Amino acid sequence: MPSSISHSSAHKAELRGVREGALPAGLRQTAANRPGQAQPVPTRDIPLRPWLKMGTFVLATVVVLTSAWEWTARTKIGLRAGDIDDSPQAWGEARRAADYGQVAIVGDSRILFDTDQARFEALTGVRPVQVSHVGTNSRTLLEHFANDPNFHGLLIVGMADLLYFGRPGIGLAATAIHNYDKNNKPSQLTGLWLDRWLQNYLAFMDSDYRLSRWAPRFDTSWRKDADSPYEDVWKISETFPGRQYFMWDRIESGGYLQAHARYAWHGFKRPPIPAPLVNKVIARSAEAVRRIRAHGGDVIFIRPPSAPELRVNEDKSLPRKLGWDRLLVGANAKGIHTDDLAQAQNLVLPEYSHLSRKCAAVFTDAYVRRLVELTPRLKLRAGAPPPLSRADCVPEKIAAL
Amino acid sequence: MIFNSLTFLVFFAIVMALHYAPFFSWHQKKINLMIASYLFYAAWNPPFVILLWVSTVVDWWAAQWMVRAKSERTRRVWMLTSVVVNLGMLGYFKYGGFLMDNFVAVAASLGIIYHPPGWDIVLPVGISFYTFATLSYTLDVYLRRSKPAGHFLDYALFVTFFPHLVAGPIMRPTELVPQFEIPRRATGNQIAFGLALLTLGLFQKVVLADGFLAPVVEAVYDAPGKMPGMLDAWVGTLAFAGQIFCDFAGYSTSAIGVALCLGFAMPDNFRFPYGAVGFSDFWRRWHITLSSWLRDYLYIPLGGNRHGQARTYAALMGTMLLGGLWHGANWTFVVWGGLHGVYLSAERWLKARFKGFTPGRFAMLGLAVLTFVLVNITWVFFRAKTFTGAAVVLKGMAGMHAKPDPLVGYGPMMIAMGIVAGIFGTHVAMRNTTLEAVLERTPAAVIAGIWTALLFAVIVEQGQGSAFIYFAF
Repeated sequence: MPSSISHSSAHKAELRGVREGALPAGLRQTAANRPGQAQPVPTRDIPLRPWLKMGTFVLATVVVLTSAWEWTARTKIGLRAGDIDDSPQAWGEARRAADYGQVAIVGDSRILFDTDQARFEALTGVRPVQVSHVGTNSRTLLEHFANDPNFHGLLIVGMADLLYFGRPGIGLAATAIHNYDKNNKPSQLTGLWLDRWLQNYLAFMDSDYRLSRWAPRFDTSWRKDADSPYEDVWKISETFPGRQYFMWDRIESGGYLQAHARYAWHGFKRPPIPAPLVNKVIARSAEAVRRIRAHGGDVIFIRPPSAPELRVNEDKSLPRKLGWDRLLVGANAKGIHTDDLAQAQNLVLPEYSHLSRKCAAVFTDAYVRRLVELTPRLKLRAGAPPPLSRADCVPEKIAAL
Repeated sequence: MIFNSLTFLVFFAIVMALHYAPFFSWHQKKINLMIASYLFYAAWNPPFVILLWVSTVVDWWAAQWMVRAKSERTRRVWMLTSVVVNLGMLGYFKYGGFLMDNFVAVAASLGIIYHPPGWDIVLPVGISFYTFATLSYTLDVYLRRSKPAGHFLDYALFVTFFPHLVAGPIMRPTELVPQFEIPRRATGNQIAFGLALLTLGLFQKVVLADGFLAPVVEAVYDAPGKMPGMLDAWVGTLAFAGQIFCDFAGYSTSAIGVALCLGFAMPDNFRFPYGAVGFSDFWRRWHITLSSWLRDYLYIPLGGNRHGQARTYAALMGTMLLGGLWHGANWTFVVWGGLHGVYLSAERWLKARFKGFTPGRFAMLGLAVLTFVLVNITWVFFRAKTFTGAAVVLKGMAGMHAKPDPLVGYGPMMIAMGIVAGIFGTHVAMRNTTLEAVLERTPAAVIAGIWTALLFAVIVEQGQGSAFIYFAF
């Protein structure tokens, strides 16, 4: 036999496999050079360089550079340690928790930003499980819950009209649902825990400030109609435990980032949504609500606010009476529209689409007080804090206008 | 578990600590490594550890009984047992749905409507890799190229050894089992060089492949309803050429670095493939451990080049078509392999026709460019999920869309093309040397500076822990 893997014939020198000094290129052979034979122990040559010293230097320099980057992230960019970011794994974790929760929230980014979970809990004693997803059609999530017989709680469906009545299957929640099982694997979960732990100490670990995210932003839509990073929604939120999103204070404070955040919505200008699509959406919503109730759950819709700059275009594409009002009737469900909440009028939406951090608490306060009137599943706690009003979140200068 | 994850960093730190702990014997350290390897695999999907175990035990005993067999027929029976069990598992998990879909399609074309139950089977990660690794063990013993391993532990550790387990390099038992016979202990220099290779691999994967190239590829290939023009179609395809190389070579480099830190040597899997001049040269440089596996266990048994021209071309095409199918249960992969088969056959014919031709320096460069361009055309079938998708991109590359949609912004395009040009230029420049030889000639300060930059870029990029493309194979 030309080769052997038995102990008796193994020559220790040949078995080392690692060799100090680089072999000349012609001598460094691979399996490609040895057809039709047993392949010998490969040789890995170590270039004659002071690797240990270089490694020590690299480690020290990288520690210095990373510290400098962390300092820049905190002082120049405005990132904070403890902003733990969201991820598909975190969404999966929330989704699993929803089956055991009394109240779950699904929807797009508006209900994600605009619900202050602490306020919700202070009023009702129940902390909702936040299962909403940015950039999605919340009907995808509603139907996902409708297919889950293990869910028996109250499902709050937050909706931006144009996304909800848009084409089905659109949005990032569809991807999250598709990858739900994959993101539940042991390696994914340990990765999530380690990542969160590190983000409690390091501010620079923010997915919106990865090298490949911010480096191409020098391209300010140079090519018309092409996919450019400038057209993307950049960082507008901070995320805390429980997938609690709040508006990033740099967006609240104005300036270039706020201007870009406003620009990224492009005014929510969309063509009118055709009546057959609206009818189809209502029919499918009604079926989803029916199935959730059959499992012992219930559904309440919520329409969070949007700034007049967006609202005018949203209403052009789908007026309330043709969308929201018909949905509640068609799905035989209750709902809370921001227009109907007196305490939630003229709140601050720094980038037009989501409430400021303080105003999220005011909006949550307003809708939860209405919610307890609509469902017996929630009650106001005896020691619930007093109602909030616009004055609790709108800066005095703006309020005076 | 994947190399570009925080979980792996913690795992690797623990493995290193156990491997270099003074109070364990070498036997115990091998057991530690095997337990760690099973954990590494189970971290993805614990139940599939059973498949690994089945593959290990069946091949171990098949080889043992093959050696003890008195007749050639009995030896063949044990060899076939190993082949059937391994390819059976691979076929069931990887190709079951594909075969069923094709059966239904053929039946429908004959007017028979058949609705099978859904084939909702999860593909065990890395099954194609470890199946080929274990098969080479029984096949080498059957072909009398090597004796069976002396110890079950050494053999089991060969199958499961985590650096190569899920995405190669596809190791032969003769390459790794002997390394388990003597205690492995890397020097400080070796460990540091291993970490440098790990850094390089992670940089390729996290920063280049996932960070800068993948979004450009997706903008072109995952844009339903959009028609790419010539610029976008070529940019998307060239970016994919860079992405697939950085993804897979990044994994191999990381694996080699990790193994080196533990004192083990793993073979090269890539040798600057985009610097190849011709397709036989390309396949001596791209995924070397797979191409040599296919050559040794498929092409040569099919007759190789020993039975005349026609048989040689048939063996070549058969090998490349099956090699294509190995990459995925989809006809697009078969076409990808078939195209390479056609290229290799054409090259073989041309070499025979123009025997005395020796290209000069510029002709070599021109041929390298031509090889790269033709390889890129095959990548379209590799990346597109359907033939319709591939046709859309190919038409775009030929400038056949009347009103193309602009898909990639100039900024990301410039970065991606800069990276691809850098990869191509490096491969052409280094086609006759090795990374190690170049490093040995480079001043330590320069190496340290580059290493620092790569590591810092990996940290700033953070990564999303996305899986390597070849995990799906």
